[in-house]
Amino acid sequence: MTVDDRLAFFVFLVADGALAGSIYALVALAFVVVYKASRMINFAVGEWTMLGARTTAAASHTLGLGLAGALGVSCAGMVALALCFNRVVLRPLLRRSLLALIMLTLGVGIFMRGAATVLFAGISPRIASPFPLEPLLIGSVPISTDKVAAAAIALACIAVLSWFFHGSRTGLALRAVASDQQVALAVGIDLHRHFAITWALVGVLSVVAGTLWSFASGGGFGVELLGFKVFPIVILGGLDSLPGTIIAAFAVGILESVVAGYIDPIVGGGFGHVASYLVLIATLFVRPWGLFGRPDVERV
Amino acid sequence: MSSATRALLEVDDLHVSYGRIRALHGVSLAVPEGAVVALIGANGAGKSTLLRAISGILPPRRGAIRFGGKDLVGLPVHQIARRRLIHVPEGRGMLARMTVLENLRVGGFARRDRAGTSGELERIFALFPVLRERREQPAGSLSGGEQQMLAIGRAMMAGPRLLMLDEPSLGLAPLIVREIFRIIPRLTAEGTAVLLVEQNARMALQCAAQAYVLQTGQVVLSGRAADLLASPEVQRAYLGTSEGS
Repeated sequence: MTVDDRLAFFVFLVADGALAGSIYALVALAFVVVYKASRMINFAVGEWTMLGARTTAAASHTLGLGLAGALGVSCAGMVALALCFNRVVLRPLLRRSLLALIMLTLGVGIFMRGAATVLFAGISPRIASPFPLEPLLIGSVPISTDKVAAAAIALACIAVLSWFFHGSRTGLALRAVASDQQVALAVGIDLHRHFAITWALVGVLSVVAGTLWSFASGGGFGVELLGFKVFPIVILGGLDSLPGTIIAAFAVGILESVVAGYIDPIVGGGFGHVASYLVLIATLFVRPWGLFGRPDVERV
Repeated sequence: MSSATRALLEVDDLHVSYGRIRALHGVSLAVPEGAVVALIGANGAGKSTLLRAISGILPPRRGAIRFGGKDLVGLPVHQIARRRLIHVPEGRGMLARMTVLENLRVGGFARRDRAGTSGELERIFALFPVLRERREQPAGSLSGGEQQMLAIGRAMMAGPRLLMLDEPSLGLAPLIVREIFRIIPRLTAEGTAVLLVEQNARMALQCAAQAYVLQTGQVVLSGRAADLLASPEVQRAYLGTSEGS
């Protein structure tokens, strides 16, 4: 390989990783909004995303809808599911132990996988991509149009979400709830209403992230495995920092891609996924509050 | 008790327990519209408990709490706040990582009118210029006195009919305490009633019209603040010690 080739390969790996990272960011945000609002760790975030993708696929295949229509139906369905889950399952358990809630999400994840196989039996998980097939050329590096488009949409969603949290009244209230529930109540914020809004967000994010991942990965397989990407990201990002989560999502995406590109050929496949978990362990040792989270220090 | 003219807040025979420990037994109290009422008493007398019961955090075992003639018992905390009965708890309840401005905007959550919100914001900045200077700083980085100003400012954002202040002077230097107490007449001038809980009995009695003395969960004395200030009993039990501490 010439120097140019090597550079092109590196650029390709970084770009490819960043594109994947943009979708990881959406899934990680679905995790973080719930964590921030209620300190609940949602181990089923991958399954939610998978269900979002499968609902979009099912809506487009069985109802014969176009992509926009399928996304609309899927969002409505997933938001309804998330609201039900919040109202029927979480709300009665809210005052119980956090550990019970965490175990519950593990169970819900397994249930969702089982239910999806039965519910969507015989329906293809593929979602037809609306984007052109020929790859984009960045310099001399070819990159799949699907991935670029998916990343662009993911970035747009992230921008809307950051505006929502920092510029809107509801976003401000959600951050107050995340910061101190007693204070939020004392200024007249209805906690249950805002927990519901959080879960509605999870529903929408699941559909968008799942659908984009299906485009980018060229099939609907293994979407639930996206959940495993989330943990290194949120630990690295500091669990409750939205910008930290987004940066960490890109970092993990790029790391995976670069490591997979250079080391996988030597050690045999799969090291990319391991690398992000090595980073997770290192983070927990060195900076347990994450790169962007802050340890709780304040004047009293 | 003068129940001829209806007070803004009426607490009637209130009983509150923590588990088997009875914190309040049979407390009755009234705050007239736009008045300052002080609640004094030793540590553990039940002053904070009473405020927590009024704002809906602690459910009473028995008794009535009426605000503007409507019963509050059993209402969730956020709905009581939405009736513009605002509680500034001991310890101030900062949203530490959010900025000063965001804390103030959160305080205005209960009101719908944008114009009222921005007008109120200007008034608060005029009262506490330091908050304007520090509006982009995280609330957790403010000094104790500044945090207390922010806590009061945030409560004012709701346009309260009744403001309940729990130990606003706690841990603050005398100069800062004076600056904070200076705000209270301004609040009442705008029609806000204040229920003031204080260990610093002298300052509380000086700025209040009416006062109640709480002792082990019961009202042992009540009346015009000026009369209590002159009463030998109060002087011995509360004013002497508060000067020394």
